[in-house]
Amino acid sequence: MEALLAVQVVVAELTGDIGGSLALVGYGLAAIGPGVGIGIVAGNAVQAMARQPEAAGMVRTTMFLGIAFTEALALIGFVLFFLA
Amino acid sequence: MELILAAGDCNAEDEIICVPERVNELFENPFLGGVNRTMLLTALVAVIVIGLLYFGIVRHKKRLVPSKFGAAIEALVTFVRDEIAIGIIGPQHGLRYFPWLLSIFLFVLVSNLFEITPFINFPVSSRMWAVPALLSILTWFIFVISGFKEQGFTYLKDIAWPPGVPIALKPLVGIIELVSTFLVRPFSLAVRLFANLVAGHVMLTLLLVSGWVFISGAGGLAKVPIGLGWLVVGIAIYAFEIIVAILQAYIFTLLSAVYVQTAVHPEH
Repeated sequence: MEALLAVQVVVAELTGDIGGSLALVGYGLAAIGPGVGIGIVAGNAVQAMARQPEAAGMVRTTMFLGIAFTEALALIGFVLFFLA
Repeated sequence: MELILAAGDCNAEDEIICVPERVNELFENPFLGGVNRTMLLTALVAVIVIGLLYFGIVRHKKRLVPSKFGAAIEALVTFVRDEIAIGIIGPQHGLRYFPWLLSIFLFVLVSNLFEITPFINFPVSSRMWAVPALLSILTWFIFVISGFKEQGFTYLKDIAWPPGVPIALKPLVGIIELVSTFLVRPFSLAVRLFANLVAGHVMLTLLLVSGWVFISGAGGLAKVPIGLGWLVVGIAIYAFEIIVAILQAYIFTLLSAVYVQTAVHPEH
């Protein structure tokens, strides 16, 4: 009984501490996917430019487009962090 | 300005984070007969853009020898025309949308650069309904209307009942396409600009104000190195924000052009 009470107190302390910063964890989770995605987009764009330098202008425009679409997810997470 | 500097007056030993009592006064408090700071700065952006175009293009044409300023403005305008309007939308329709693209490019560029302009330090595009939402709603109207004008009812039919998709998947793909074209596009266009500028503005404010508070606040000389560290990081972010401001203006214009292009040209 005493052990259960102690566990309850610990859980209450933990959740009490976490409560305010859960939105921050949410933003961190939302940033993982777009982080990986932007890395893939930019890395492949660099590779494409190195293989075919004369197409660099077109590749760069397409890269910015891809980054903009990928980035949107992280930015929505950022906005929700403020709303939460 | 007073409110931000007032953060330095708070008791650093008792309260770690100082929140000014009325933060919204910075943006929403009307002071000139109903004109608040955001409205004033938005009007200033418009004046600057019109001034740039008038002195750079209109007055510049009368000169025999181009000045450096005129050549710079001309390079900017030519970039938007050749790379964005003609390069994305195509030579057939591009020039018709060029005035709109040039207007949003210059307007967003100047309002983004206000973020790093000394003594202004406030990007108008970080107020959601002042610049980003308004411009993306206007872009939405332009690409929807031009889609109906160029393709007629086929525009809506090709989105809601896409050709070249297996018949069993057509309702599902149609719903996804409808939502992504008419709802997600304007929303993400506005949120992208807004969130980038808010993030940069918050980061700059935090770093520079904490540098200032650490250096000049109470508590002795021991914490001055920490404040200097914040200042150095803040100035590095300052340089980074110049790139972000220009890139976000370019991306906003580029995406508007891409949306118009998908509406004007039917997919093959």
